[in-house]
Amino acid sequence: MGGGAVERQDPDKRNWVDWWLPFSYCPMCYYKAMFFFGKKIAKKKVSHFETLSEKWTARHRGIQEKIWEKHQRALQNFKEKSKQFAASSLAGLMLMASPGVAMTSSAAAATAVKEKPFIDLDKSTSLLLDLQSFLPKTVEPLTKEQEQQIGDLLTTRLGATVSAELNGKRLNRSYGNIGQEQHLARYPGDTIDTHFSSGEDAQKYYEYGMAPGLGAYGYFAKSSSMTEEESSREKYYIAVQTFLAPGYLEHTKEMNEFFAYHKMLVVNPDNGKAIVVVIGDAGPAEWTGKSLGGSPEVMKYLERVDGAQKGPVVYFFVDDPNNTIPLGPVEL
Amino acid sequence: MTLHFYSKLVTTDSLVEALNELELTDEQRSHLLGIVESSLHHAILDAILSELSDEDKQVFLSYVTEDDHKKIWDFLNKKIDKIEEKISQTAEGLKKELHQDIKETKGN
Repeated sequence: MGGGAVERQDPDKRNWVDWWLPFSYCPMCYYKAMFFFGKKIAKKKVSHFETLSEKWTARHRGIQEKIWEKHQRALQNFKEKSKQFAASSLAGLMLMASPGVAMTSSAAAATAVKEKPFIDLDKSTSLLLDLQSFLPKTVEPLTKEQEQQIGDLLTTRLGATVSAELNGKRLNRSYGNIGQEQHLARYPGDTIDTHFSSGEDAQKYYEYGMAPGLGAYGYFAKSSSMTEEESSREKYYIAVQTFLAPGYLEHTKEMNEFFAYHKMLVVNPDNGKAIVVVIGDAGPAEWTGKSLGGSPEVMKYLERVDGAQKGPVVYFFVDDPNNTIPLGPVEL
Repeated sequence: MTLHFYSKLVTTDSLVEALNELELTDEQRSHLLGIVESSLHHAILDAILSELSDEDKQVFLSYVTEDDHKKIWDFLNKKIDKIEEKISQTAEGLKKELHQDIKETKGN
């Protein structure tokens, strides 16, 4: 919509000539193509950590599933009988690796001692394991139950209501592949040369370029004398498929008003990195195979900038009526 | 690492040493060891639950939740023959697989 999405399919799946021809007529497009395809073509070096983490997380999940399948009746009975488990889901009980994730903080505190045998992992590891246990094996729309479980988990972690649906409004999905977006103009006259507040930022993010058009909601500020919040909104923005949201066609104006700059929590389930962002644009197109896009700053923080330039994230609404939760990275 | 009722039987020293030979930050090593610990925990609980009746599973789970190691061991020794051996075998089996993963990772 705003033209910010860098929409690319897997070049391996298409004849390279189909890709190359349109780019060859435009210098900017040529640059972009070289940048992205060059990265794609370059063989990605996978670290020891990535390899083992992926393998062991999958194995851990398999072990969890096995114990649950084999002893479901006993575990279910135990959960129902046991008052100390305030966990709202069966999965909550089986998350023996991460105590209290589905509990309220007061309940967690009250049962902290009793929960001890359910291994006390560091926060980021337990978040990862919890998320992995709730998420489907493939990147697909979540069920209502999964959304509820993850919403409860993230609400507890963030300390504010986090949900896939808010005030009766929701997006087409809450778990999907995020792709790379470009910078958006914040005010009339904002260019790639005026965009960064420090040389360090320019060095990190210059290469992603500016989208040729504006975001779906226009400029973020009226002029360069913008507020910190207005600047942060562009820095930490995501583009979501608002146009695919249920009820969008029937209530376009109302839905747009709700979505514009609404805060969301985005979490990378592979590393537990989380960031509070705003909806700053609409997109990407369905055919890209991506469900949302992230600003260069968002993508860099989530570590979703790899050879494929996309990967799954969880994205839920944050209910922050008094605007007290700052935008940017957050420790869950 | 948290002390579990089976901690005297199951150590992860060899995995720690093997991980030390990889290019990992402290944070990454800690993350991986967290997964190891949790995986072992679940595998051991599965091995024990598999030997118990439905009724006994409830008792065992309640003792685990209480973290009363004496109660757990009194109960397990009464209910399961050679339970220590079974726990050790389960842990060793999983550790062997994890070592193999590390070996393959180093080879890449």
